[in-house]
Amino acid sequence: MSGSSGRAGGAVTRGPVLGIGRLQWADAWSGLKAIAPLMPGSVAFGLAFGALVSATGISPWTGLYASATVVGGASQISAIESVRAGAPAVIAIATALIINARFALYSAALGPVFAAFPRRWKLGLAHLMTDQAAVVALQRADEYPDPVRRRWFVLGAALPFVAVWIAGTAAGVAAGPILPDAWQISFIVPLMFIAVMVPTLRRSEDVVAVGVTGLVVLASRELPFGLNVLVGIVSGIAVGTLWAERADARRRRRGQHVDSVTEAAEHEAGGGL
Amino acid sequence: MSVLLIFTAVAVGTYLLRISGIVLLSNPEKLPPRLRRALGLVAPTAMGAILVNSLFLDEGQWRSFGAWHLAAAVAIGVALWKRSAGWAMSLGAASFALLLVAGL
Repeated sequence: MSGSSGRAGGAVTRGPVLGIGRLQWADAWSGLKAIAPLMPGSVAFGLAFGALVSATGISPWTGLYASATVVGGASQISAIESVRAGAPAVIAIATALIINARFALYSAALGPVFAAFPRRWKLGLAHLMTDQAAVVALQRADEYPDPVRRRWFVLGAALPFVAVWIAGTAAGVAAGPILPDAWQISFIVPLMFIAVMVPTLRRSEDVVAVGVTGLVVLASRELPFGLNVLVGIVSGIAVGTLWAERADARRRRRGQHVDSVTEAAEHEAGGGL
Repeated sequence: MSVLLIFTAVAVGTYLLRISGIVLLSNPEKLPPRLRRALGLVAPTAMGAILVNSLFLDEGQWRSFGAWHLAAAVAIGVALWKRSAGWAMSLGAASFALLLVAGL
């Protein structure tokens, strides 16, 4: 808080730039600095998605359109895999939306953070709420009690992150055709998910849910249209939720901490894509 | 339905999910506990499903044992050891490249 306030004191004495006050620029810059360490991962995942788009013969413009409008890498990859498996559109859409259901949790946690923002800001920033931007907004919002400064901080974090995601997709789409088949670039899909997911598996309910998901995905591999992925996710969530309820009950009996909605969202967003 | 329309439907649905709490919930603790727990498991299960499906299966059939599995094992080991996505990505990719060069 002290750092941002110090910069603000100098910024407010000078005139606006491009019609935007210097204080707002300073807050947006703080947001950008807060999310910058997470940007290489966004670029890498964008590259992976772009290369996958290229490898599957989907129009490059469609790939870029997906990255700009969906802004959810795992769901975009899932939709492409469903299409490759010949799944009906409804299955491709349902699987992708279940994967993106986590955004409802972030949204619930962000409700109070965005409460004092004008409606147009709420509607605009909502589209930019990636896993990483949600974490930054939840963790740093208290440093900006002024809603005007807070929204510029959130915008400064969220917008550049989406921009590099789209740029990564463009680079992947462009590089895809020149990569030899022998490089087996599609290995980047499981590698990316290992890198992002495994380090965050700390709670017993996460391990149980992922274990059940994996077993069901493999056991139901004969299902048509790539439905095994959807069945695996739903099974893992169902079993994991029951396990989490028992784990939370045990924690309460022992007087241990049980996550609030905001803490649950921060935990979830820390391992999301 | 074209891929473009599929992505459009996913985009619209995802946006509705993204604005749901921001517009409707002023107090996140009003979220039912069971729903909160279920939503909290979406990210790991979604990633786990895509990971297992792409690593062990190839168009619905078992993938032949080889560089994919070995490099994935390296990446998992590094991810558990370092608890770092960057290290897991880097060493997983490097081991995969070496295994391909070795003819696996």
